[in-house]
Amino acid sequence: MTEEFEPKIVAFLCKWCSSAGSDLAGVSRMEYPSNVIPIQVLCSGSVSPLYILSAFNKGADGVLVSGCHPGDCHYIKGNYYSRRRIALLKELLNFIGLEPERFKMSWVSAAEGTKYTEVIKEFVDELKPLGAQTKLRRNG
Amino acid sequence: MVALEDLKQEAKNVLEGGTVKYIIGYKKPAVGFMAVPAFFHKPEDLDALVWDPTCVHNLVLFLKDEKKKKLGQKEPDERPVGIVVKGCDSRAVNVLLQENYIDRENVYILGVSCGKTGMVDLKKVRKYFKGKIISQIDFNENESFTVTTTEGKVEVPAADIFAVRCTECITASPVIHDVLLGGDSVRTPENPFGSLEEMESKSQGQKWDFWQEQLTKCIRCYACRSICPMCYCDECVVDTINFAVYPDTPAEEKAQKIKWVEKSPTTSENFIYHMVRAIHLAGRCVDCAECERACPMDIPLRFLNKKLEKESKKLFDYDVGYDTEIPSLISSFRDEDPEDFIR
Ligand code: SF4
Ligand code: SF4
Ligand code: FES
Repeated sequence: MTEEFEPKIVAFLCKWCSSAGSDLAGVSRMEYPSNVIPIQVLCSGSVSPLYILSAFNKGADGVLVSGCHPGDCHYIKGNYYSRRRIALLKELLNFIGLEPERFKMSWVSAAEGTKYTEVIKEFVDELKPLGAQTKLRRNG
Repeated sequence: MVALEDLKQEAKNVLEGGTVKYIIGYKKPAVGFMAVPAFFHKPEDLDALVWDPTCVHNLVLFLKDEKKKKLGQKEPDERPVGIVVKGCDSRAVNVLLQENYIDRENVYILGVSCGKTGMVDLKKVRKYFKGKIISQIDFNENESFTVTTTEGKVEVPAADIFAVRCTECITASPVIHDVLLGGDSVRTPENPFGSLEEMESKSQGQKWDFWQEQLTKCIRCYACRSICPMCYCDECVVDTINFAVYPDTPAEEKAQKIKWVEKSPTTSENFIYHMVRAIHLAGRCVDCAECERACPMDIPLRFLNKKLEKESKKLFDYDVGYDTEIPSLISSFRDEDPEDFIR
């Protein structure tokens, strides 16, 4: 029997909401797939498109950017800037033929441990049939 | 239509009067027929000034050099530089003004209108006139060009040898200028993003195959970056060599500089470079298509930039290079920005 493909997800989580949300999921012992490599950032607005490209370049099968809900950003406006930037990058990656399912954004608050686990579960389910991401991955 | 004599006269007036320190314009090339950039320091030099459908260069590029030169001078000449700009080029001036890269008093803008047509595409011209020796191409009042070859003059419908970007151009006359020659030319192209449609209708696999083939060709000469008037950063993120390294910079520190992109022109690294380039030009690219023209490997770079121009318009209703007072695309947002893609 062949082993099932386990996608590797790089998740940029803002410190004040999404990262705290993932902590809540952890301390509440909620079950969710262990495919995520979390990277804590100060704000979703601090995620440069280059971080995302670089994650794909270094072997991520999927990339998630997650921040506070609109209106809740610790730095007031960071997630609005992020929303715009990510929309553009999404369109661009779609245009060059990367599967759009590989790149996601979510709003997860510090209280939404459950939502965080759902987002990850869904993401893993979507990524599995796609197999490994080789398009943007650096060889060797 | 612009009368060349009028343009020369306007240029002479400001150069003679000392209003400008020099003028950046176009002249005939030493070989071939495509005009080349030229710097006019003396009024009498201006006899060589030309304006025709081969003036493809976006001269705004040279405002970067001017700025860098001035920064290195103790007592720089503060007079403005005169510059000949087309519609697209004028929007590049506007973006530089919007980003406070230059000041309005740094430039004296001699705006020229493309009228009903625009610039020729050299590749199309060569194909159309296989082997014939061309000496001159001129604008006409209608949608055609007059091409002079050794066999005489012929009128060619613009559509046959016209640059694609010009068929999608909305403002074929400068949106900012000190003098405007040739009058206003606002156009309503049927489909300002038409050239993208074929690509957009492809499947993800087909898109990938296309871009993989194209971007694998890239040799990372960075001609596309060098020629772009918007690529003015002193340190480019893809080029770690540019990061400030001093004689006393310790080895550990050098080793710690993040190398986002490898220098080797392999497919994956080329993709990262081109994605970064496209994203950094989102809301800034004026579709002068100079990058595509400069590319020695014939990579259709314009598509990437045009796609983001289209999305900026569609998603954020943002137009590039019209208003110098608004914040730039990436440093602003609206409450109603779409978020249906966010979980
Ligand atoms: S000009 Fe062409 S070959 Fe040179 S770096 Fe740009 S895309 Fe690559
Ligand atoms: S990216 Fe290309 S088309 Fe856009 S402004 Fe730069 S050189 Fe011109
Ligand atoms: S702090 Fe969470 S998105 Fe800005």
